[in-house]
Amino acid sequence: MRFILPCLCTLFYAATVCAAPDVAEIVQKANFASYYNGDDGSSLVEMVITDSQDRTRTRLFTILRKDESDGGNQSYYVYFKRPSDIRKTTFLVHKHIQSEDDRWLYLPGLDLLKRLAASDKRTSFMGSHFFYEDVSGRNISEDLHTLEEETAEYYILNNIPKKPDEVEFSAYTIWIDKTTYLPMKAEYLDKSGKGYRTMEVLNTAEIQGFTTVTKSKISDLNSGGSTITTFSEIKYNIGLDQSLFTERYLRRPPREARQ
Amino acid sequence: MTLGEKLVQTSIKRPKQIAIALGVITLLLGLLIFKVHVDTDPENMLSPDEPVRIFHNETKKDFSLYDMVILGVVNTSHPDGVFNPETLNHVYDLTQYAATLSDPEHPERQVVSSKIMAPSTVDAISQAGLGQVSFSWLMPKPPETREESLRIRDLAMSNPLLKGTLVSEDEQAIGIYLPITSKNFAHTLSQQLTEKIATLSANGDEYYITGLPVAEDTFGKEMFVQMAISAPGAMLAIFLLMLFFFRQIRLIISPMIVAMISVITTMGLLIGTGHTLHIMSSMIPIFLMPIAVVDSIHILSEFFDEYQATRNRRQAIEHVVATLFTPMLYTSLTSAAGFASLAFTPIPPVQAFGIFVAIGIMIAWFTTIIFIPAYIMLMPEKSLVNFGVSKNTMREHPSLMARLLRRQGRFIYAWPKLIMITALLITGVAISGIMKIQVNDNPINWFTKNHEIRVADRILNSHFKGTYEAFLILESNGQDLTPSEANEKFSGMLKSMAVDDPSKIVVAKALALSQRAASAPDLDTMLKNMEETFIQAQDEASDTTYDAWSDALALLDQFKHRNQVFKRPDVLEYIGGLQAHLLQKGLVGKSNSITDMVKKIHSELFNDPAKFSVPDSIGGVAQSLISFQNSHKPNDLYHMVTPDFQKANIWVQLQNGDNQGMEALVREVEIYILGHQPPVSLQHEWAGLTYLNVVWQDKMVSGMRDSFIGSFIVVLIMMTILFRSPTWGLLAMIPLSMTIAWIYGVIGLIGKDYDMPVAVLSSLTLGLAVDFAIHFLERVRTTVAETGSWKSAITLMFEEPARAISRNVIVIAIGFTPLLLAPLVPYKTVGIFLASIMVISGLATMFILPALITIIQNWLFTLPLEDQEAPKP
Repeated sequence: MRFILPCLCTLFYAATVCAAPDVAEIVQKANFASYYNGDDGSSLVEMVITDSQDRTRTRLFTILRKDESDGGNQSYYVYFKRPSDIRKTTFLVHKHIQSEDDRWLYLPGLDLLKRLAASDKRTSFMGSHFFYEDVSGRNISEDLHTLEEETAEYYILNNIPKKPDEVEFSAYTIWIDKTTYLPMKAEYLDKSGKGYRTMEVLNTAEIQGFTTVTKSKISDLNSGGSTITTFSEIKYNIGLDQSLFTERYLRRPPREARQ
Repeated sequence: MTLGEKLVQTSIKRPKQIAIALGVITLLLGLLIFKVHVDTDPENMLSPDEPVRIFHNETKKDFSLYDMVILGVVNTSHPDGVFNPETLNHVYDLTQYAATLSDPEHPERQVVSSKIMAPSTVDAISQAGLGQVSFSWLMPKPPETREESLRIRDLAMSNPLLKGTLVSEDEQAIGIYLPITSKNFAHTLSQQLTEKIATLSANGDEYYITGLPVAEDTFGKEMFVQMAISAPGAMLAIFLLMLFFFRQIRLIISPMIVAMISVITTMGLLIGTGHTLHIMSSMIPIFLMPIAVVDSIHILSEFFDEYQATRNRRQAIEHVVATLFTPMLYTSLTSAAGFASLAFTPIPPVQAFGIFVAIGIMIAWFTTIIFIPAYIMLMPEKSLVNFGVSKNTMREHPSLMARLLRRQGRFIYAWPKLIMITALLITGVAISGIMKIQVNDNPINWFTKNHEIRVADRILNSHFKGTYEAFLILESNGQDLTPSEANEKFSGMLKSMAVDDPSKIVVAKALALSQRAASAPDLDTMLKNMEETFIQAQDEASDTTYDAWSDALALLDQFKHRNQVFKRPDVLEYIGGLQAHLLQKGLVGKSNSITDMVKKIHSELFNDPAKFSVPDSIGGVAQSLISFQNSHKPNDLYHMVTPDFQKANIWVQLQNGDNQGMEALVREVEIYILGHQPPVSLQHEWAGLTYLNVVWQDKMVSGMRDSFIGSFIVVLIMMTILFRSPTWGLLAMIPLSMTIAWIYGVIGLIGKDYDMPVAVLSSLTLGLAVDFAIHFLERVRTTVAETGSWKSAITLMFEEPARAISRNVIVIAIGFTPLLLAPLVPYKTVGIFLASIMVISGLATMFILPALITIIQNWLFTLPLEDQEAPKP
């Protein structure tokens, strides 16, 4: 189908209609490609946080995911391995499409299980330049999407938040790869319209038939710092049990996470 | 022919050429002034390679600290204080506006918007219900209702990091902390803010801008304005006074020209040689002018009295220069020596100041000798007809000053002991005053009491816990292990891990890997090798040993981070203990550290005020901190600790910028650390502008003292050479010593701080105070030689020589009174000092010297004196 559509466009030259494929569809495909590969998956993640003075800090964790349905509710489980003093810290997200996400953090050094407030989606994920929302995905219904431009490689979408008070950006632009539907780049504008934050995909790989981001970078243009995330040991459809994604397992990390 | 005569002959014979040559040189050097590069940063009081300054800058970088301008919003009239919607809206708008500001001329000088500390840019940790902890902006948007405003208040007040810093405990003030990339932007920023503030609606809000950078930068800016007003003002006053004394406008223009030439050429040389125009060097003209004018006044005063005797200007001027050449040379050399000695202080701007004032003094001397005679020769003879006083006139119609001086001479000769006893009594009191001198400085006090900067400082520090910052940096003395030592240590850790069979297998293998890695050339390579081999081993591990390898890797990670001492609960408790001690001693308004941060998060995580404490494990601390980093501003942590957790910063707030307070704090910290050994070996070191001020003040005070003692000895030697007699040399030092003792005695007695301006003025005192003594003693010797007795000489001394000194005293003392109107305290100080130096050294010279000479005349003058002849029956 993919290569038939452009042909039709050329035939009828209905540029305004065809050059603007359904934005909702692009957004949905991009959402699937980014967050819903397979029914579940796991990966080892290394985050290298670099500040403006090139001082780096590293976090190493395993991330597990299980979907209820494609584009629907899903769960994430994060198990920290390093640095050693936050080892065994765990983090759980129940992502809801129709309502606010639920998030829990377990701190073994304090033996404390804590719920994180729903409003704190756009705060730093464990001191990195990634936000919590970058890890589990921003709900696509929270923004108004328009197709700004279509190049040979990308659909360039402009996104405006429906509730501007809840976020720190005024708009963001994403570059979605036309073949893989992976957002390859994003640029966030602050309230004064100035670019202050970017996301770039540095590497992708084909894993079990899914084109997967294996390295990405978020840069804070104001402070000059950035975080590079590298994914390894990526596996899909490993048959994770939904019961792993419960509070009970935060204190007692499952074997799947520890590996 | 002596050098002086040669010079005078040249100048008398070729007055035009001399005038043109001086004009051209002055013009050329004057052009160099346009290359001026202004530097108003007091930090440059320390040389760039000064260790404390290097450390200060390293600290700023390590902890991402910036110089801060503090905009305080105060509302004392609203019942909710500043926590009312309108004020908070203003605070919000001002913060938004400030974030965009930069210096229009130097765009790289700007507000660091990402580091602003204001209600809308800081996170509040709060309970969000259902056991949730939330990190939300304290003021995400301006509040609309009273409830929203009060919620902001409650959130801020419950955060010990914000209370007393961002919001005042009395709820009447909010501080917006604006970090700037360059201190030189502070004054411009404060003007930009003031303009914005003027557009805000009036609702009882008051706005104050403070912070050391503002004070320092504003001082720099106002200082130049001040220069443009004070220097010409002083010039005008001196001109009018000379007009009063000499009543010959053409003639008295000449000292003005001498002063101009000296100032312009000196400044040209200073700037031309690549020096920046610093706070210190900007004072050069003010120092140079009186000295330049003094020499000219001596010549004119003498000429004034001499001309009518001969009615021949050429003869008169030759005579005057012959008489005055040596004393003038020596007064100039001594003044120059006094200033040149500043070259030995360890403070670059003071060195430049001393050297160039010394150069300027010698330029002034040379110009006086060469230009004044030329100038007199260029004047039409007829304009001199009525100039000066004939000796007959003086005898028949003496001026008030002349009459008083004659009476004074007679009185001294009659009561020399009374005068000496009085002088010694005063000196005794002065010495007790000197003992009380308080060494202290505070750049805020460079402004007068009602200056807006002083007012802002006073008001904000009455609300907040202090707008002066200093940073106490603690650093772990992480010992560098050799690979074999590391192997030994790490093996010990590994062995404790062998609890079950799989782990025993892993430990055995890991021990072998560690042993092998220990052959690496350095620790870094060793740890890297170990990590690689451990990971490889884990990849190849069976299901049974996989977890044990994870543990081994974690252990390795722990070992790698063994120097991260500022995650250790005992170290954090130690910091907290030190902070509590300083607070209890009343030495700080408040201090903030990683310990406060950890305690606050710990208690919020448990939603339990009783948990306002440091968790009892490294993991607990690290996890509290990582929770804190789940906020909007995770990097705020790194203002308190470096990312490697090997350096921590105790951010101290002081309510007063007095160096004494900072010094007391430094001392107390030393005492505390001596008495309380930290749980791990820690180095400590101070940074921050308040501390830098203390350091350069110390250098200044000790440097000034040394250079003063040095130049005192140099001047004594010069006097001995000049008079070819140690006795006369010592005599010449008496008025100077008395002047210095009295002036500094008064400073001690009235409780004025011995600060930067006062310290610098000690060299001026030395240079100027010796002048009159030289002139006086030189004349005493020649007059006694001419008249044959002190008794007849003293009468003549209280004629023309005494009048010259008195005229000088009056011209300089009154001439610099315009400085007293300055809004900057150092200028006032200079004005008061100049007047005091002139008056006291004039009095000391004209009372103590003749009195002392009268007492010791038999011994002093070896030639037969009439008094020694047989007593009259």
